[in-house]
Amino acid sequence: MDPKLTEVVQSFERFKAALVRNDLETSNNLLSQLKVMLTGFRSLPPLLEETPNSVQELTIARDIYERAVVLSVKAEDQDAFERDFFQLKPYYVDTAGRLPPSAQEYPILGLNLLRLLVQNRIAEFHTELEILSPGAMENLCIKHAVELEQSFMEGAYNRVLSARKTVPHETYVYFMDLLAKTVRDEIAGCSEKAYDYLSLADAKQMLMLSSDKELSAYVTEERPDWEIKNGVVYFQKAKESAPCKEIPSMPLINQTLSYARELERII
Amino acid sequence: MTQDVEMKEQPAPSNSVPSNVPSTLHHLKEIAAIVETGAYTKEVRRINRAVRLTLALRKKLKTSVVSSFLNYALASGSEALIRLLSYLPKEDDHDMEVDTAISATHTPAKHSPELEIYAYLLVLIFLIDQKKYPEAKACGKAGIARSRNMNKRTIDVLASRLYHFYSYCYEMTGDLVEIRGDLLNLHRIVTLRRDELGQETLLNLLLRNYLHYNLYDQAEKLRSKAPRFEAHSNQQAIPFCRYLFYLGKIRTIQLEYTDAKDSLLQAARKAPVGALGFRVQCNKWAIIVRLLLGEIPERTVFMQKGMKTVLRPYFELTNAVRIGDLELFRNVADKFASTFSADRTHNLIVRLRHNVIRTGVRNISISYSRISLVDVAHKLRLDSPNPVADAESIVAKAIRDGAIDATLDHANGWMVSKETGDVYSTNEPQSAFNSRIAFCLNMHNEAVRALRFPPNSHKKEKESAEKRRERQQQEQELAKHIAEEDDDEF
Repeated sequence: MDPKLTEVVQSFERFKAALVRNDLETSNNLLSQLKVMLTGFRSLPPLLEETPNSVQELTIARDIYERAVVLSVKAEDQDAFERDFFQLKPYYVDTAGRLPPSAQEYPILGLNLLRLLVQNRIAEFHTELEILSPGAMENLCIKHAVELEQSFMEGAYNRVLSARKTVPHETYVYFMDLLAKTVRDEIAGCSEKAYDYLSLADAKQMLMLSSDKELSAYVTEERPDWEIKNGVVYFQKAKESAPCKEIPSMPLINQTLSYARELERII
Repeated sequence: MTQDVEMKEQPAPSNSVPSNVPSTLHHLKEIAAIVETGAYTKEVRRINRAVRLTLALRKKLKTSVVSSFLNYALASGSEALIRLLSYLPKEDDHDMEVDTAISATHTPAKHSPELEIYAYLLVLIFLIDQKKYPEAKACGKAGIARSRNMNKRTIDVLASRLYHFYSYCYEMTGDLVEIRGDLLNLHRIVTLRRDELGQETLLNLLLRNYLHYNLYDQAEKLRSKAPRFEAHSNQQAIPFCRYLFYLGKIRTIQLEYTDAKDSLLQAARKAPVGALGFRVQCNKWAIIVRLLLGEIPERTVFMQKGMKTVLRPYFELTNAVRIGDLELFRNVADKFASTFSADRTHNLIVRLRHNVIRTGVRNISISYSRISLVDVAHKLRLDSPNPVADAESIVAKAIRDGAIDATLDHANGWMVSKETGDVYSTNEPQSAFNSRIAFCLNMHNEAVRALRFPPNSHKKEKESAEKRRERQQQEQELAKHIAEEDDDEF
């Protein structure tokens, strides 16, 4: 075997061990070394040259990047996740014919979909979705993310929350927690428009907060214009400011000026 | 190969040979003459005409005709001739013997580069029509390699057609991905040479290539970085049309529905009347985009000539969205699932579910001044374990997004619709007025732009009656051509 490859395999074993121990610092250091080593292989993307060991090299590189994605989730680092995922993606797309499919592929793709959802990058979410084959859509991990997006768009928020209990993979929990926070903000936004008032108990239940204290902390922190009085949350204040009757003068001036300009051009 | 064998093999063609072959061959020779003149006088127009005439001859081409034409047009013993002849199927070699004898007297000492590229194009088209894709690929590759080294405007026209058919035969065999690198390289070359036609053709081919694999991300990146072009003349109308269609598709996927609608409708409107397949595709996508925008396309869209049956699934879909009936929507989506996945619109249809619910909620809000959430859930026919809670949050979201004007009463579990206020006291009429004026002004500007002469046209002589006739004929032929192609492809 190629000595370079042997070296990579050895450090990869150490990296895997560190990852299992949840020793994030060591795994991060090992990962950076591994990535540097991988740049020495000519068979990997973007060169994708045919070499005698190319299949082995590609497989190990894919394994490394898959672990890197998992590591970034454990480290709760979304930027690192995005970087690692993009490095991994060519292995799923461009080498599909040469390597046997990875068992990790769908969980990681699903994870990425979830990340896009959490970051509210819906356009990219749909772009990623289009690449997937109809077979992939049937996969539990992908389906989970797709259904979440639908419920999210419809406004069926409690379906989003109940989905947290049915996560298909342990790495999903991190993003689901982030999503829960987004959902809470959404619910709060909808509630203040839809209700005049809510009882404390109802508000607590809707916003998924466990105690009155948490609720009042949330209100003071995130929604200072709500009012808690006699065990009832009033949204009135937010509502009164909403319908403002003033004439939008600037846009109107702009529109009228543009008509004048266009008319002059015609004449 | 003796005369006897030939007679046994193909008794019928040998009878018709005297009448048929000379005419087609004669046409080809005329075309070759046009190409030669075009090359000599450096007139791109003539080359264009040659390409058009060739496309009209497509159905009549035969191995014998093509091979004897090659022998006629290309210098005997030249590399191109030997190579091109090797691509042709072997079975009717016998006809060649006769023709080589004739061509020996005609052979020009040296053929022009234009004629050589034209010969490549002819053979490529012929091989595609004969469904000999491996040979066609090899021929296309060789032709492109040859044209690559020639930097002449007269060759650009031929080369752009060459790229088109080259990509087409890879599409037919389903391995478009292989030539992506080649196309990108070519695109760089033509961009450096300022070959506009080549740029447009290759950009469209690349977009098509990416979209074939649903790689919307890459397609958008390429599109936004590539040099932009506008339709200057009729020559470019069709590539521009295709470009608009691809652009519309990309934007739809990326949820920029308003822009997508503009591009798709424009593409559908600009497409030649004959290009039915293409127009149907544009309409399908435009319908979905309009539905996603919350608009309901008019009935006339579905009743266009020749589109009634193909647009049927989309018509029923529109109906379901219009009524806001989730059950009906689900039935339609299931019933035409295969159509939608063949059109690759399935994911978009999934997105429509949200609009169906929205319409349903709006209808309920208009009809009732007060309704319990249990009834709302029942009317929406939500299939979920906890329909009432879902209905509540759905309605809440609809209120926040401004789709309905109502309030919720959680304690009593009902929804109270507000009185519809006087719409004329709001800014609504103003914005409606604005959007219409903007549309009219835009249309006027477009019309003025279309009347403008293409750049540098004042240098050329005025269009004579003969030329105008020719141009109209050319448009028709192009339209026919694009129609045929799209029928093949979609």
